Amino acid sequence: MSNEILNYDKVAEASLAKAQRDGAETMWDRRAAQKTQCGFGEAGVCCRICAMGPCRVSPVPGKGAERGICGANADTIVARNFARMVAAGTSAHSDHARDIVHAMHNTKAEGPFKVRDEAKLRRIAKEWDVVDADTKETYALAHEMADIALEEFGKPFGTLRFLKRAPQARQDIWAREKIEPRAIDQEVVTLMHSTHMGCAADYESIFRRGMRTGMSDGWGGSMIGTEFSDILYGTPTARASSSNLGVIDAEMVNILIHGHDPNLAEMVVLAAQNPEMIEMAKAKGAKGINIVGMCCTGNEMTMRHGIKIAGNFYQQEMCIITGAIEAVVVDVQCIFPALPELAKTYHTRFISTSQKAKIAGDMYIEFSEETGLANAAEIVKIAVENFPNRDAAKVEIPDIKQDTMVGYSVETIIEHLDAVVNSQLEDKLGTVKPLTDVIYAGVIRGAAGVVGCNNPKQQHDYAHITVMEELIKRDVICVVTGCAAQAAAKAGLLTLEAKEKCGRGLFEVCERVNIPPVLHMGSCVDISRILHIVNLCADVRGIDPALLPVVGIAPEWMSEKAVAIANYVVGSGINTYLGIIPQVLGSPNFTKLMTEDVQEFIGAHFVFEKDPIVMVDKIMEDMEAKRVALGI
Amino acid sequence: MNMNLFDIIYDGQAQYLQRAEEMVAKVVAEKGKETPVKFPATAYALPCIYAITGKKVTNVGELEEALALAKEKIHRTNYLQDALDAGTASAMLAEIIEAVKYVYDEHPYAGRTVEDLNTADVRYLGHITDAEVRNFGVPLVTGDIPGVAVIIGECKDAETLAGIVKDYQGKGLLTFMVGKVIDQAIEQKIKMGIDLRVIPLGYEIESVIHVVSVAIRASLIFGATPPGDFLAHRTYTKNRVQAFVNVFGPWDNKIIAAGAAAIELGFPAITETFINEVPTLLLHQPDNSKVVATSLEVRNIKIKVTEIDCPVAVSSAFEGERVRKDTMFAEFGGNKTECWELVTTGDLAEMEDHKITVVGPDIDDAMFEGKDVVRLPMGVVVKVAGKAMQKDFETVLERRIHYFTNYIEGAMHVGQRNIAWIRLTKEAFEKGFRLKHIGEVLYAKMRSDFDKVVDKCEITIYTNAEDVKRLGEEMVKPIYAERDERMGSLTDESVDEFYTCLLCQSFAPSHVCVVTPERLGLCGAVSWLDAKATKELDPMGPNQPIVKGEANDERLGTWDSVNAEVARTTQGAVEQVTLYSILEDPMTSCGCFECICGIMPEANGVIIVNREFPETSPVGMTFGELASMTGGGVQTPGFMGHGRFLIGSKKFMSAEGGLSRIVWMPKELKDDVAERLNKAVKEMTGIENFADMVCDETIASDSEAVLEFLESKGHPALAMDPIM
Repeated sequence: MSNEILNYDKVAEASLAKAQRDGAETMWDRRAAQKTQCGFGEAGVCCRICAMGPCRVSPVPGKGAERGICGANADTIVARNFARMVAAGTSAHSDHARDIVHAMHNTKAEGPFKVRDEAKLRRIAKEWDVVDADTKETYALAHEMADIALEEFGKPFGTLRFLKRAPQARQDIWAREKIEPRAIDQEVVTLMHSTHMGCAADYESIFRRGMRTGMSDGWGGSMIGTEFSDILYGTPTARASSSNLGVIDAEMVNILIHGHDPNLAEMVVLAAQNPEMIEMAKAKGAKGINIVGMCCTGNEMTMRHGIKIAGNFYQQEMCIITGAIEAVVVDVQCIFPALPELAKTYHTRFISTSQKAKIAGDMYIEFSEETGLANAAEIVKIAVENFPNRDAAKVEIPDIKQDTMVGYSVETIIEHLDAVVNSQLEDKLGTVKPLTDVIYAGVIRGAAGVVGCNNPKQQHDYAHITVMEELIKRDVICVVTGCAAQAAAKAGLLTLEAKEKCGRGLFEVCERVNIPPVLHMGSCVDISRILHIVNLCADVRGIDPALLPVVGIAPEWMSEKAVAIANYVVGSGINTYLGIIPQVLGSPNFTKLMTEDVQEFIGAHFVFEKDPIVMVDKIMEDMEAKRVALGI
Repeated sequence: MNMNLFDIIYDGQAQYLQRAEEMVAKVVAEKGKETPVKFPATAYALPCIYAITGKKVTNVGELEEALALAKEKIHRTNYLQDALDAGTASAMLAEIIEAVKYVYDEHPYAGRTVEDLNTADVRYLGHITDAEVRNFGVPLVTGDIPGVAVIIGECKDAETLAGIVKDYQGKGLLTFMVGKVIDQAIEQKIKMGIDLRVIPLGYEIESVIHVVSVAIRASLIFGATPPGDFLAHRTYTKNRVQAFVNVFGPWDNKIIAAGAAAIELGFPAITETFINEVPTLLLHQPDNSKVVATSLEVRNIKIKVTEIDCPVAVSSAFEGERVRKDTMFAEFGGNKTECWELVTTGDLAEMEDHKITVVGPDIDDAMFEGKDVVRLPMGVVVKVAGKAMQKDFETVLERRIHYFTNYIEGAMHVGQRNIAWIRLTKEAFEKGFRLKHIGEVLYAKMRSDFDKVVDKCEITIYTNAEDVKRLGEEMVKPIYAERDERMGSLTDESVDEFYTCLLCQSFAPSHVCVVTPERLGLCGAVSWLDAKATKELDPMGPNQPIVKGEANDERLGTWDSVNAEVARTTQGAVEQVTLYSILEDPMTSCGCFECICGIMPEANGVIIVNREFPETSPVGMTFGELASMTGGGVQTPGFMGHGRFLIGSKKFMSAEGGLSRIVWMPKELKDDVAERLNKAVKEMTGIENFADMVCDETIASDSEAVLEFLESKGHPALAMDPIM
């Protein structure tokens, strides 16, 4: 096992040494066992969508087999593989959203699922032209909205409702290029159809259809997921939390919630607050119950309740290796199938809860929106009862944690911006104009959304942190979600004090608006929040978002969701920088389409750059060019 | 409308650079490198360049070095810090340009040479002296001057400009003007002058540096901020100098570059013409009627509004207004008629709040028809009552009559008690001002400023000669006598508590005054009784009691209790002070002291210079230069700032021999303090008419001649133990 890649993170070093001592296997062991990864797969030229294959064509044009058995060339194979990643990613976010909408359907005044942000419910109802949005009885309205939202997944005609949030200029481009997404399920289905054997064989057409599917994620599934979660669980507000493995408490019953969906986690938090449960924990010798979060479930819970962040994607095994976790409770997405086996090295119970993500190896307690709180109570009880089984000799919690500020929803950002609006000017409250003012004035050069996962192809968190630190130094404000956000939390960038690491312009903005230079906007579905705020900025200035000096960045991405995201971000007119090169290089045509040609018809493109410093240099050039074009 | 703000700043800066380079080359060629360069009456050379770089420019040759230092700040990039640095460079270059003007002409700003600014043709004033800066100290810390407005450009019409300036003046702000707004203010007969807080600097944008220099010197003087530590200076100005900029009419690139310098110092700018806004720093306010409110809000300046029924403005900005004979309508006192004033405590139950009575003829009485000037005797009785009112506070409130009356636009008040002297202008009379309005002003201010102790207030103004005389004798004199007795018995030994005064800490964070009965605050504005009253008015406020306990050293005046409190309130910056010595751990000062005393070793004594005295003292330094040795909470043995009133205190440097060490004072100061000084020295040493033994500038100012004079008078200091 090689630890070289981890020298950025001292926590990891100690943790992996302990894993070795405990005889536990980790992702690095398995990564090493993989040896050199498949070059054909890496280039995207391996096709196994029909049983004549698998076929692989040469990743180098003019050399070896240039066509599969059916005649599909590298362009078609790469395009189809890429498009299918988009479909899978879109499915993940959107199916997550559907569960949230189902929870909304189950809301009632006495809970456990209830409407916690009624104003937002009514605001969106109005946005969706619901009659009597202001006056209708809350739960009648909530149920009606749930029905309408469910229609967004499968309505037979029309395009998605949230597209209207974009400035007209962008909507016109979508219409012109025919990438306005229709019902979410339809977009996924039709893309899977297109990429079926013997269907589409025009790489540009496949790419465009893929982008439209991605758009149904960003402006559909993800946006519904975000907005409806806010209605159900409250719109996040700025709050303090703490991050890294040190938040695991040796004297408490520790429950790790991991995955993406707030439904389960909200119920677990509720169950753990039950005084009877706390008494039971005390009776077992613990001081109480400590819930810690990981990945996007962690993000959802920290930004609404201040639940501590144990870590991001690559730390999921390290959490268990501390020997102090009573139960790992998971819902969906980004959960290593390796975890149940690893948990057995310790006393930890691994509990999977979703039909969609049943993981063999330990326990399965099915969670449903109808019986949520009872399911959660059962889970918490198992954890509490497991406390006496902990082996003190195996407990080793790294003494590293970092205070952090989280919860910057669009609403919260606007609330902060309101504080700098002079009441004597014509400027209204409740807008992002102050943000566009400082961008137009050059005080900050632009804004970057830094998102995505961890990937052993990059030094963990190093690319995230380098990109963010370099950007804030150069007066670029960052907004972050997902595992990138947790990397920022651990590095101390989500603090008011981090303004000291900024260029003067961003420093002034942070000080005057009283915000960190890197703003935690939530989980990966919450990239829809980033889309929303960029579009609000463009709207204030009356321009297409593609003209603004803003970029999307995924320095360490790995999941198919990230591919869907990149597609809708580019589709929304925002240049997107990928620190991990997608598996497309086997088709120079497709690569050129992504990185250059798409600019012509969408007004934005992808940039592949592994070196985070070089990436930042390119981003600055990009932003300055946009500034010159705007005359600012 | 999109614009590249940084390009605008860099272009403005380039224009300053070009002009500065041309002017420096010219002055070097024409005057030579050895020719001195200085602004009048400042100890801080070219103050902005000195504060920013630590470099004291003293001659033409050094202007070239200053030019090089300014260029070092210029780095054209896309980042705010560099754009702001270009603003800072612009400020340095503007200061160089202005300094060259002073090389060619002793008075490049003609307003400095005229007798009455408000009748002169040319009114601009240019550089503000150290003494003038120090004068702003007390009103700035008390919030009497709640902010500083810098108005640049040309308003669309003079009436609008006048409205805005009057609004600032009425709110007590200090207003500096640059450009054609000055002409507009003159056209609209705005009363201007340093005392009136409306200060015309000059027509060229470069003259704006003279207000930047005021802010920077506040940092040097009151903050004791080290020269060269620009970050510390701009932190000081941002946090403590409540200034902002208003730009009227179309702006040009030089104005915006100067604006960048202002923003770097923490001063927001508001423009009338469109500019790309930066919230809280750079605002576009096209509506002139909202510019005042916009500015106050952006700098977070809160104005305490007291509604007063009065036909003329009432504002601290008018405190320095003089009423000359030719504009005078009515006069009370001033050796022509009798005039006295009294604050006394009444019975809360019997009093009728806001009862204002004028007994006798008013200034519009028929008998004055056709007369040149209205002269009347006046007796003002302010009767107050309140649950927390104490007899000792009566004099504190009574001294405020002077200020409150002066706040009236068109009124001048001089003196106190039965030597009060009041004048009113024709303009005020024409606007409908009558004697009851004096009552309205006194009533409103007593109620608002002393709301904790004054629950009810009645004002009676007597103008019948007979009443004024009779009440003066029967009611007023016995009260004055009783108070004098009480004051005489108030000594450092007779009280259990001293008071800290932290009023200045908003400007001088490491200074604290210890106020005792015999040692008032060094600004001259806070006596022991004032401090005691302030504690009552604002229990958590700037004056807190120190229970003095046993003295460690009676001679030096040291107490553990005092040291502990000084160390605590200065956050450890000062750990020990003596109250009666200027050589051992002398008390620190903020910088707004009225006087400074310094040792004159050859005379075995001390000289005292007051702020108003512009010339060089026998120790070879001006007030400004002496003052720059201390201030900002720094202890400098041998130098001490103090109030005028301390001259006459038996505790004045009593550890070194006391008042009889004084060998030289400016004549005006000497005359002012002579009576008290003579009395105290007589009681201490038996020497009669000590003031006559003290030299002044009309006798001699060079060391040898001073010594000669002292010897001829047999000055006691010459025979005392060596002072050093």
